[in-house]
Formats: sequence, C-alpha cells, structure tokens
Amino acid sequence: MTFFENPIQWILGCILILSSLGVILARKPVHSSISFLLALLTLAMLYLQLSAQFIAVMQILVYAGAILVIFMFVIVLFQDAYQQIARFDAQSAPSLLMAAAAIFVLALIFLGKRLVGFSPSSKEAPEGFGSVQAIGQALYVDFFFPFEAVILLFLIAVIGSLYIARKAK
Amino acid sequence: MDISLTIFISMAVFAIGVVGVLAMRNTLIFFLSIELMLNAANLLFVAFARHWGNQTGLIWVFFVLVVAAAEAAVGLAIIINLFRSKKVVDIDQYNVLRG
Repeated sequence: MTFFENPIQWILGCILILSSLGVILARKPVHSSISFLLALLTLAMLYLQLSAQFIAVMQILVYAGAILVIFMFVIVLFQDAYQQIARFDAQSAPSLLMAAAAIFVLALIFLGKRLVGFSPSSKEAPEGFGSVQAIGQALYVDFFFPFEAVILLFLIAVIGSLYIARKAK
Repeated sequence: MDISLTIFISMAVFAIGVVGVLAMRNTLIFFLSIELMLNAANLLFVAFARHWGNQTGLIWVFFVLVVAAAEAAVGLAIIINLFRSKKVVDIDQYNVLRG
C-alpha cells in the first residue's frame, strides 16, 4: 500500500477525496457541482485503472451527461434563493463532524486489522473483463429480466417526475 | 492494483457523503451528497469485481447507475415542487411531514 507501487491510484484517490470535500464545503452550489464533476471524472479514471472500461464510459455518460445537467438546470432555477441560507446547522455541525470522523476512524481500525495481510490482486484480469461484449452478454443473457424491469422502472420514474413537477392548477 | 487503498478511498468518500447529508442545510448539496455515497458504493463494487475476476459486480454497478438516474429525476422534481410551495431551499424549513 505504499505510494511507489501504484502512484496513479494514489494521486487519483487524493483528487477524488479532495473534490468530494469540495462538494460539501463550497460556498455556491455551482462550485460544488463543478467539484462533483471533477469527482465523477476521477472515478471514471479509477474505473479504467480497475479495467472496467464500459462502466467508466457509462459513468461519464450517465452522471456527467445526464444527472449533472439536471442539477445545473435546478441551480439556474433557484439562483437567488440560495443567498439567504446558512451553510451549516450551527448548533449540531461540530458534533456531527466529530461523530462522522469517529465512525470513519473506528471503521478504519476495524478494517485495517483484516486488510494488512490481504493479498493484493496482482494477478491479471480475465480475458475480456469489463469490455462491452462481456457486459452486454451478461446483461442480455444472464440478467435479462432485471434489465427489462429496470427499463420499466425508468419509464415510471420519467412519468412520475413529470407528474410531480407539473404546474398545480 | 491494490484493493485496500481502493477500500480506503471509498470509505472516505462515503464518510464525506454522510457528513454532507447530516450537516448541510442546502437541498442541492444534500442531494449531491447522496450521489457521492452511491458512487462510493459503486467504486467498492468495481474494486471487488476486479479483485475476484467476477463480472457480476459490474452488472450491479450498471443497475445502480440506472437507479441513480431515476432517483435524481424524481428527487429533483420533488425539490422543485417543495420550492414552489415553500419558497425556500433550507432543508430545516421542510417540516410538513413532522408529526
């Protein structure tokens, strides 16, 4: 787990953590969504490092291409409303931050004992791992019913969001 | 590729997302933090799929991505509707369901 074994993963991880911190600490919503975009791109590069090409492309297409654009539209819609609120809940924020840090450190200690002797996956990925062919084969043959069910879920989500967001009479 | 480093990154991102959900009052930051937590889980799925050489984890990531897109559409529609009725984006003001 030293830096010199895999420096690319270390650098990508540092960028990912810093940009996720930027998401919750930025003053303006636009800045936090820009750092969310940086986090998404870094995650896509990490997926490429882990030899999951199709998932990396899907990440950029779905998150950066679709979800973040909806976020931008909502930010534009609410533009002046964000000026009037405080960022933190002043009474509970320090204790919540302490609690989150404590949980993180405890989980790190708990996992660290197990992961010290954990064998790194130095072996090569299987042939065609994470390629479009392999994922498509799995999706259309082994996971055909969940795939169709997810299409139905998406249709219901689109209709439901149109229904919720319509102008009330 | 080192799996313990990936687990550490994923845990850190998830913890940041939890802090964002618990401590932030801006509705959009709240929502982005939920997306951060989903992404941390996705990273762990991909790392373990690579570690064991099993494709099924990648299929799970695909489904999580699709459900996250649907969730973003519905959640932002709800936020827009709440903003129309309350005229604020402070999450502490949305207490109509409180008993």
